[in-house]
Amino acid sequence: MRLRILIVISLAVAASGQDTGWLTYGGNDAGWRYSELKQIDTANAAQIVPKWIYQTKLPGSMETTPLVDGGLMFVTGSSNHAFAIDARTGKQIWHYTKTPPKGLALCCGEVNRGFAKIGDTLFKVNIEDHLVALNAKSGNLLWETEIADYKKGYSGTVAPLAVKNLVLVGTAGAEFGIRGFVDAYDANTGKRVWRFYTVAAPGEPGGDTWQGDAWQRGGGSTWVTGTYDPELNLVYWGTGNPGPDMNGDVRPGDNLYTCSIVALDADTGKLKWHFQTTPHDSHDWDAISDPVLVDLNVGQRKVKALIQANRNGFFYTLDRTNGELLVAKPYTKVTWASGISAKGRPNLVAGQDPSEEGTVSCPGLGGGHNWQATAYSPQTGLYYFGSTDGCHIYYKTKYEPIEGQWYQLSTVDDVKHEPASGSVVAVNPASGETKWRWEMLDAPSGGMLATAGGLLFTGDRYGYVIALDAGTGKVLWKFPAGAAISAPPIAYSLGGKQYIAVAAGSDIITFGLP
Amino acid sequence: MKPVSVVRLFALATATTVLAVAQTTNPFANDQKAVDVGRGMFRIYCAACHGIHARGGLGPDLTRGVYNCGELDADLFRTISQGVAGTEMEGFGEALPAESIWRIITFLRSVSSVGTSSPVKGDPVRGKDLFWGKGNCGQCHAVNTRGGRFGPDLSRIGRERSYEFLRNSVLDPSLDISDGYRTLTVVLRDGRKITGIERGLDNFTARLLDSSGNFHSFDKSEVTSVRRETRSLMPDNYGQILSATEVDDLLAYLSGLRGEARKK
Repeated sequence: MRLRILIVISLAVAASGQDTGWLTYGGNDAGWRYSELKQIDTANAAQIVPKWIYQTKLPGSMETTPLVDGGLMFVTGSSNHAFAIDARTGKQIWHYTKTPPKGLALCCGEVNRGFAKIGDTLFKVNIEDHLVALNAKSGNLLWETEIADYKKGYSGTVAPLAVKNLVLVGTAGAEFGIRGFVDAYDANTGKRVWRFYTVAAPGEPGGDTWQGDAWQRGGGSTWVTGTYDPELNLVYWGTGNPGPDMNGDVRPGDNLYTCSIVALDADTGKLKWHFQTTPHDSHDWDAISDPVLVDLNVGQRKVKALIQANRNGFFYTLDRTNGELLVAKPYTKVTWASGISAKGRPNLVAGQDPSEEGTVSCPGLGGGHNWQATAYSPQTGLYYFGSTDGCHIYYKTKYEPIEGQWYQLSTVDDVKHEPASGSVVAVNPASGETKWRWEMLDAPSGGMLATAGGLLFTGDRYGYVIALDAGTGKVLWKFPAGAAISAPPIAYSLGGKQYIAVAAGSDIITFGLP
Repeated sequence: MKPVSVVRLFALATATTVLAVAQTTNPFANDQKAVDVGRGMFRIYCAACHGIHARGGLGPDLTRGVYNCGELDADLFRTISQGVAGTEMEGFGEALPAESIWRIITFLRSVSSVGTSSPVKGDPVRGKDLFWGKGNCGQCHAVNTRGGRFGPDLSRIGRERSYEFLRNSVLDPSLDISDGYRTLTVVLRDGRKITGIERGLDNFTARLLDSSGNFHSFDKSEVTSVRRETRSLMPDNYGQILSATEVDDLLAYLSGLRGEARKK
């Protein structure tokens, strides 16, 4: 269907002539991860070759979205490392590092997902849940602020979101008994301007969805970057699982605002509306996936929409002015709910909660779609994301919390002889229908990038960087990069040439036409 | 959360770093609360290799009360804290505070059942003859320096797996296929079918080792199909080939395989 794009797209045009950068985590405020560049297209994609490789020599697999501006590429690595690289040659300009403290409580490694940038200042979180501001030209530290105390289970992995002169961040740590939040900091001083707690306290709206003191360890991490609608002046952020994970016995109620999408006033952090995708979650199905902003025709109605491929297996389209549900459709095998009611509440299927002896439920712990970056192409009108297609056996345990220690009370195991597969899914966000699906061996690990060249770029856990026809899902090109792709690709241009860049393992690889 | 096994990722996580103290007695011995916490920690950090019920998987069965690196609580603490050199057992002393390691040990003691696992009824000497003779197990499996290399090495299998696990593996080998020994079948464009042990499979290519030890590598786009089988390549008719007594004998032999004594 024809889509009218009403969102103001800030084309990432850098200062130097016609060069086109990549200036934010999501590519634009709306989180589209779409590049207008089209020098590389469906006709010549098969010719793409690597142009340079920058080896950070860090352990682990980078999850960063590189930013490109003024001929420089800015990337964050694991364990509080960050780099500025000449975007033309791949040569290092500066290297920021800060040794993480001992005693961190982490579910998933010392990863980082990228910078935000305002003017000549870069912002990143450090793993000990500090926010730092760096001079983009030198890498020198301008200021550093503690977001939350890592000794209490908090940690920082999210790429910040720049909104006017504010730097917005979330936190990780819901497996360690934290109370989650979204924070806004003054870009010049590092002082906190507002905080929105994603776990409602007694007496606050939503506080009656908790019992006793469970809210104090209620989780609700905010570990993936939100989006921003400047016209509505609203920030949208997804929240993670309630704590303790996967055992809801000790936290009766819906557990607001965990596993929700929240709309916050950008200036004050006041809650405008919320939509809880998984009330009283017991499967770790965070609602942290990119909340992407698109304007759609849904039926006869023009809608300012928010779309999300949720970890619980359903794709949602909401009215982003008020949180009203417009579309909810499964995009993978779902056994825990037979559907979503008109008001957005799942119709639960009995016997799907974790148990002592183990309960098979679908999707698995990581979803469905997890955190990996998604893309929306106004050219095709399709929304692209990766999906893990399978189930897990969910086990439940019980014990008393110990501050700063794992407070998960459960784990999962694979279903024997039923290994999960994966797919890249293209969904029409106005209807929730799947247009095409590229089936993979198992869970997709890289994020998505859509381009005006009619292409969709992604990467897999086996180290392939892949280009698909965005209209059909046909693979047009692949390159074995030699290390798992756990990050989304980006596009930029320099000197009239288009490049595609992505982190492969702990290296940055940039591709272009010969 | 993410790719690979979720549980395995948890195991790789770096949590509170409190270096293991040189304590030799378990401060939480027989503490039921510690058993519960230890079970939770075990499931997060250990279950990926040792199984959700500690009955073994990639790593040894820990419910037998028989441990490769010493039987004392202090030995278990050292093993968990420092890992075991030369094996896949990594050290968790950096990731886990000492108290959590002791709680895991308390849990392990609560599920250990020394001397209560199924009695080994058979004759290991006759079982050894069956292994190398009638059963023809040695064609694919090695014990110490002797035997084939197509299937898993069984030199230490008696220490690593319970009697019940071994019995299931002999009579129903597809029930639990060891990692690294999955069966892959590739059908070529000319109709030929090649089956072997998977030595690599991704979204675009496949690699396998056939029963003759030949290595094959394919682009998926150049073959008719690539399929992961749910069956093991090990014959599934030992229940028919061997009498019940012979199965007991074979299991008695396998249960007694503890690895060669280390030379000083």
